[in-house]
This record gives sequence, C-alpha cells and structure tokens, in this order.
Amino acid sequence: MPSHVSHSSGLQRLIAQLAPLLIVCAVVFALPVLLNNDFLLNKVARYLVLGILTVSLGLSWGFGGILNLGQAMSFGLGSYAMAMALKLKTVPVHTGASGLPDFMVWNNVQHLPWFWEPFRSLSFAIAAGLVVPALVAAALGWFMFRGRVTGVYVSIITLATMVVINLVIIDQQSYTGGFNGITDLAQLEIFGVAFDAYGRATYYLVAGCVLLSLLVAFAFTRTKAGLIVQAIRDHESRVRYFGYDVALYQIFVFALSAAIAGLAGMLYTVVMEFASPTFLGVQLSLSVVVWCAVGGRQSLVGAFLGAVLVAGMQGALSESAAFLETWTLVMGALFVLVVLFLPKGLAGLAQVVLRWIVQRRQAAGRGVAQGVGQTEGST
Amino acid sequence: MDQFIEQIVTGLSIGSILLLVALGLSIIYGSMGIINLAHGEFVMLGAYAAWVFHTYLGLGLLASLVPIFLVVAAFGWVIERYVLSLLNNRPLDTILATWGVGIMLQQAVRLMVGSELRYVQLPPALSSSMSVFGIPVSSYRVFLFVVSIALFGATWLLMNRTTVGMKLRAIIQDRSVAASFGINAKRVYALTFAYGAGLAGLAGALVSPLKSVSPDMGTGYVVDAFMVVVLGGVQSLAGTVASAFILGELSGGIAFLQNDTVAKAIVLLAIVVLIRFRPEGLFTARVRA
Repeated sequence: MPSHVSHSSGLQRLIAQLAPLLIVCAVVFALPVLLNNDFLLNKVARYLVLGILTVSLGLSWGFGGILNLGQAMSFGLGSYAMAMALKLKTVPVHTGASGLPDFMVWNNVQHLPWFWEPFRSLSFAIAAGLVVPALVAAALGWFMFRGRVTGVYVSIITLATMVVINLVIIDQQSYTGGFNGITDLAQLEIFGVAFDAYGRATYYLVAGCVLLSLLVAFAFTRTKAGLIVQAIRDHESRVRYFGYDVALYQIFVFALSAAIAGLAGMLYTVVMEFASPTFLGVQLSLSVVVWCAVGGRQSLVGAFLGAVLVAGMQGALSESAAFLETWTLVMGALFVLVVLFLPKGLAGLAQVVLRWIVQRRQAAGRGVAQGVGQTEGST
Repeated sequence: MDQFIEQIVTGLSIGSILLLVALGLSIIYGSMGIINLAHGEFVMLGAYAAWVFHTYLGLGLLASLVPIFLVVAAFGWVIERYVLSLLNNRPLDTILATWGVGIMLQQAVRLMVGSELRYVQLPPALSSSMSVFGIPVSSYRVFLFVVSIALFGATWLLMNRTTVGMKLRAIIQDRSVAASFGINAKRVYALTFAYGAGLAGLAGALVSPLKSVSPDMGTGYVVDAFMVVVLGGVQSLAGTVASAFILGELSGGIAFLQNDTVAKAIVLLAIVVLIRFRPEGLFTARVRA
C-alpha cells in the first residue's frame, strides 16, 4: 500500500514536471496556425533556436554546476559544419572546375582542403555538427575536470577557448571565409523535403528539435547519471567520497550540452542562411548566459522561455538603432538585478507564486471545512 | 643574435603590459575570491579617462595618472559596495554580476562618447627611443616596464608592510575571526576592490597611447590577463609577475615565427594542458576551488 501511494505520487510529480514542457511545445507547434506571415515565422524560428542553445547551457550550468562562458563555441562549430555542407551544394558561379567555394577562389586556394572533402556528404556534416562540438568539449573537459579544476576557472578557460577559436576562424580566411563567414548557401534538403528559411517546413523542423532537445535534456536529468551530476553540483567532494568518478560525469554532461548546442548551431545556419564568426562570439555567449539566468538556470523550460522572450523583445525593439543601444544597457541592468535578487530566475519566481496560490487555496479550503463543521455543530 | 635580443625585449614589453592589466585582477581574485569580469571595462574606463583629461582639460598623460587611478577606484568602490557585497556567499554569481556591470559600463560609454576610435598622445618626453643592449627601443615601452615593476613593488608593500594589508591577509585566512578582532571586513573588501579597479584604470591609461581606445577594447585584455592569473596561480603576486613575463616572451616569440593568432592559440593550448598536470598553477601550492 505505501509503495503504491509513493508510486502514484511519483507519477503525479513526473506529470507535473512534464506539463510545462509539453504546454510550451504545444504552443510552439500551434504558432504557425495563428501567425500567417513567413517573415515573422522565420524570426520566431530564430528565437526558438536560441532557446535550444540556452537549454543546452541550462543543462551544464543549472544541473551540472559548470558555468560554460563559451557555450557559443559549440553553437558556432555546429553552424559551420552545416554551412560547409550547404556551401558545397551550391552551384558555383565564379568557381573553377573542381567546384571550389567562391571565397576560396578569391583567396587563390587551388584545391578543396582535406577537411572540407567529407562535407560533400550531408549526413556526415550533420553527424559532425553534433559530434565535433561534443568531442571538443570532452577533450577540454578531460583536461579541466581530470585536473579537478572547478568553478570560476572552468568559466575562464571555456571563454578563452572560444575567443581563440573565433580568432583562428577569422585568421584562416582562405579556409573559413574569415570575417565574412560562409554566405550564399544552398537550401537544406533531406529526403526530398527542401527547407527554405522562410518556409513552414523549416519552422516545424526547428519546433521538432525544440521538443527533442527539451525531452532529451529532461530525460537526462531524471536518469541516475543525471542525479549524480546534480549531486556533484551541490557537493562535489561528498560524491567523490562515495566512490563515483566525478570527472567522468562532468565530462559527460559537458559534452551532451555541447552536442545540443551544436544541433542549435546547425539549425541557426538553416534559418539565417549563413554562418559567421559572430555565432561563436563573446557577445552571443554572454547573451546566452543572461537569457539562462533570467529564465531560470535550474529549469529547462524556464531557460528556453527566457531566451525566446528576451531575444524576442530585443528583436522587436531593434527596429531603431538608438533603442537597441539603450536596450543593451537595460539588459545589463536586468541581468545584475536578476543575479542579485532572483538567483533562480523567472522560473523560480513562478514556482514561488504557484506554491503561494496552492497554499492559499488549501488554507481557504481548510477555512471552509472549519466553517462547515461549525455550522453543523450549531444545528 | 641581435634579432634574439630584440625578441627578448619585445617579450618583456608585452609582459609588462600583461602584468599591468593582470595585477589588479590577481589582487581581487586572490584576496576576495571574486572573478571580476568587469576588469576589462575598468581598463577601458582608464583609457577613456586619459582621453577625456587630455582632450577637455589639456592634461598630459603623466599628469593625469593619479586622478585616473582615483576616478576608476571610486567606480570600483561603488560597485563593490552596492552590488558585490550583496553576493557574499555566492562566489560563482559574482562572475555574472561583474559581467552585467561590465556590459552596462561598456554600453554607457558607447552611448555617451560614441563607438568611434579615440587616440591618446604619447607623452612628448617619452616619444623618442633609447638603446637597450644595443637595440633601439621606444622610451615609452621602457617606461611601461619600469612602471609595471614599480606598481608590483608598491602592491607587494601594501599587502605585506601596511596595516590595511595585514587586515586583508587576516580576513583571507579567516573572515569571522578577523571580524571578531574588530577588523571591518566590509570596508577592507571595498578598499581592496577599489584598489584593484584603480590599477586596471592605470593600465588602461598607460596602454592607451599604444593602441586605439574603443568601448570594447577591454575584452581582449581581460582574456589575456586571466590567462596570466591561471598560469601564475592565485594568491601569488610573484607568480603573477613570473607568468606575465613567461606569457609575454612566449607570445612575442611565437608571434615572430608565425602570427599573433597562432601565438594566442598555442599559448592557450599550453595552459589547458598544463592545468591537467598542475592545476594549482605554476607558482602556488594551494589547489584552486
């Protein structure tokens, strides 16, 4: 009997935890019905992709306690993987016989470099967009976590790594397109479905990936490994004394988060129709941290909504340049205030409010019951 | 041989700039455990202060160094008092708070004076060049080297030979015991942060004649300075000096053979590998947490 009770309450809790996630995804999927404007739909898809990126940070920061200030690095690597494949699919206009990308021709490159060759295959590119960020993260994580580096040092090393990779991409202009990035891409085509950046298909592709990444991240936090990762966040040495290989779990969550960010990066290339060094810039990486903190770092749905709402607001205000500049100032202030007074972000605030409502209702219910008892007693 | 000496001198020059920027960062992290991501913006404020003093008040760079130190230190004091002191028990969150403050400072400067590049004049007395080991070197770079060593010396004296320094070291060892002996920890922390910020401001002012001044100039400096602190290890002023010059020589040397970007990448790679085998940094015994 007690086991049955705890089982059903566990199930109830699972449903309660999944409900916000499913509601948000339902709204995401329903949006094209209400929004009959391709341009707006493309914009929303962009914000959704940034939402996925923020969820990936929430996974490593909120659940793993690893504040990765270079989250955009994985995002950028994913986006370049997709852009390289789509670039090779274009019909070259100004290029030589071997179908070199235009910027290589401009830089007097004679042959396609070896690391571009495999990107002729789209499936390789998609796999690379997931695996390369994960491998880079795992390698970096091996050095950091095996060396038992924690806290602020992880943040700084991830930030520095991203800055350096960004510089290298800008520097190696003849192989990466340099400062301009990779532009003039072909359309993504999978199983005969063409994904036009302004089409419904692309929106649903993004929406599907939102659902997928939220579910994967959520499922991970419920597994044993996910629980251990959270235990490490709360008290690292205690978990180590229990005999767990702390670094291994940290490397895993770090790499998983990077793979999700890589997925977001690939989608971003499809939605934006180019890849650029700014995709792995400090500015974006910073924004992701802000969105995650505002939405609620320990809530996946909170992090997602934080990104979509704040980035959406920024997009809506960016029509005038003066407003945009003030907006950055406002965002900085908002960020500081959230860090100081709302460490769990809007999701934490929502939880407090919900709990307060439930308690009030219970108290009111008890009051009514008492009132009924009294009237019964008096008659 | 001449070329070799020239490389050494270039490395020393890069190292002295690194030391200037990293010193304030190292003090703040080593004593308060705060990673100050607004440090680059303090550097930027110092550079803009030099520009403002020169353009609007006609003050030369050397004459305005003391006021610049005081102005940027005041900024630091306010930020510690009204933002960071609220985050006593959340060290990881101080990264975020200082980052937020950094964005605001950067954006505020961009709104007020615009994002175009500004230039600060070299002090006329130091615009010539002099001979070091038979190599012609700009006098200003020699001056920077001397100033960075002098500031390091002053900081060391402040930490080890003054009452404030002793109080600070007591607080680092055990804040509550120090407080029970009547040391005002809040005040000492605010002063420390202000001092670190002032040093960053000085660094910004001093490098401003060498490079152009822009609102986002701080980002590059702060990343390099963090590398210095990571390599040198925390709570070791001597480690900061040594690693600043090691990194200076290394970057200068690789940049001579390849280019600046490759130098940055190789230096970073070396630091990441080093951290695996010597996580406490080159010059300290304490494991970082």
